[in-house]
Amino acid sequence: MAGFASPDAFCPETSALQLLPIRFERLDADRFLVGNMVGDLAEMTAAELDRLCTLDIAPGDGLYERAFEKLFIGAVDERAQQQLLALRLRSRLSFLRAATPLHLFVVTLRCEHTCPYCQVSRQSKDRVRYDMDQATASKAIDIALCAPAPLIKIEFQGGEPLLNFDLIRWIVVTAKQRAVRRGKQLQFVIATNLALLTDEVLDFCAEHDVLFSTSLDGPRDLHNRNRPRRGQNSYELAVAGIARIKERLGADRVGALMTTTEASLGRVEEIVDEYLRQGLDGIFLRPLSPYGFAMTTKQFHKYCGQDWLRFWKQGLRYILDINKSGRRFPEFYSTLMLRRMLSDEPIGYVDLRSPAGIGLGALVYNYDGTVYASDEARMLAEMGDRSFALGNVDEHSYRDLVLSDTLVSAVADSLTQTAPQCSSCVFEPHCGADPVYHHATQNDVLGIKPLSEFCLRQKGVLTHLFELLEHSPEDAAILRSWAS
Amino acid sequence: MTMNSTQASPPDIVVDFSASTQSLGALREAAYRVIGQAACHIDEADGRYVCRLSPSQPRLHGEELRSHFLNLVTDENLREKVSGETDRLRDVIVALAFGSLAQEQ
Repeated sequence: MAGFASPDAFCPETSALQLLPIRFERLDADRFLVGNMVGDLAEMTAAELDRLCTLDIAPGDGLYERAFEKLFIGAVDERAQQQLLALRLRSRLSFLRAATPLHLFVVTLRCEHTCPYCQVSRQSKDRVRYDMDQATASKAIDIALCAPAPLIKIEFQGGEPLLNFDLIRWIVVTAKQRAVRRGKQLQFVIATNLALLTDEVLDFCAEHDVLFSTSLDGPRDLHNRNRPRRGQNSYELAVAGIARIKERLGADRVGALMTTTEASLGRVEEIVDEYLRQGLDGIFLRPLSPYGFAMTTKQFHKYCGQDWLRFWKQGLRYILDINKSGRRFPEFYSTLMLRRMLSDEPIGYVDLRSPAGIGLGALVYNYDGTVYASDEARMLAEMGDRSFALGNVDEHSYRDLVLSDTLVSAVADSLTQTAPQCSSCVFEPHCGADPVYHHATQNDVLGIKPLSEFCLRQKGVLTHLFELLEHSPEDAAILRSWAS
Repeated sequence: MTMNSTQASPPDIVVDFSASTQSLGALREAAYRVIGQAACHIDEADGRYVCRLSPSQPRLHGEELRSHFLNLVTDENLREKVSGETDRLRDVIVALAFGSLAQEQ
């Protein structure tokens, strides 16, 4: 009599299974985080991990299904899982095909602020010495337009770049003319404290679609304490500037960044409230970097990685509760990590990728024509360490710069894919090499990761986000919405 | 794995392993991962690997540090096993990603 085969007939042979490349980290005595080559994660007990590794699993036992879904195991005679992992790996690293999309022009090192945490070691005077000139800018534009990336983002940095606005205007107009011949698209951003914002600047930016990125450290007293200037009105000028840009150019034309100082640590809710009050679309809870005056004034050493993690977790909790009340307001560091965790998008965020983003993700043209591998590299140079100086706009082409021994060595020597501890770390697919940071803090581009605050921060953030995604459904729904 | 633990002159912790059952590679990996908490010196004597842990932070002491190090060694042993079984597949996947797939594009 015809009929259905028994359920056993549809079960694959467990002996035909093979373990695919996995990584794991211990969360506590009996809990492990297990991941595959492209960063899909699952929580397991010690017994489950042991059963996975000995393939002591069978259809219907739950672990088998989880392991198959997460691409921890595959059938010996099938290549589908391997091909899928390969496709996803290729997608995740495809940012390498559009090299160097970001070009930072340090149009002046002068600044009218005197921030003790200034990471670029601004100068107060000597316009001739510390401003970029047109000839240097012209050569830098040509180098930038030689980069393979189809969309070139030019970011104006300082000092305070609006102190050399005439040059910004010239660069925007000239780059647009030259980009047409090369078939490149351009995007422009001015990173400014907004203290010198004028109608003339706004009119130009409206006409040429220039975006603004500014600094807002929190409420008036905190911001003005962190960012002193004559008149003690940095906050007033920043929030007035944000309002003027939103009114003249649109709400999405200005973004703000905060820098966490020791004084910020107990005030994360107030900082978030300030961002909400200014109508900003989210916040990046950003730690201080070990460069410039942040080092010489010892600001960087006033709190440790664990302090920042507590600050970030407290801030994220507060932000998630705000989102629960119906207002979409992401924390951008989390969003970046979540996009890495929940998709295979090629996210080439310069500080969080391996191969490292120095040179291959961004180039920095200093006011004097020296080309550096990253913004942090030129910050380091202002402290007297020119380890990541790649060349000069007068003498070198784009190809010379990205194929320079300095850059190739730093990228090759810092790969997380082969680094001790990183190569077996469950978070490696979501993390990155930061050779400049590790050179600055440990005098080693690879970095001794067990001693690295970068590593501590990344592991802390990724573990916390994973725990929320796994164990807190309401938070998980919000976090997933940020990533989409 | 055979393990004997004794506390030498404080505050160092000594943990030893049978060289016939414990790989030196896994011990070295564990020693690297424990750098933040202790310096680990590995010696071989009488068929045993002797790991001397000198705490560098007040956070972990005595039994806690020993237990932490043993967990690290256990984890590294498992990583070594997984790596031995899957490294060939990892190479195939990377080759597929950046070799044959790349040629198709």
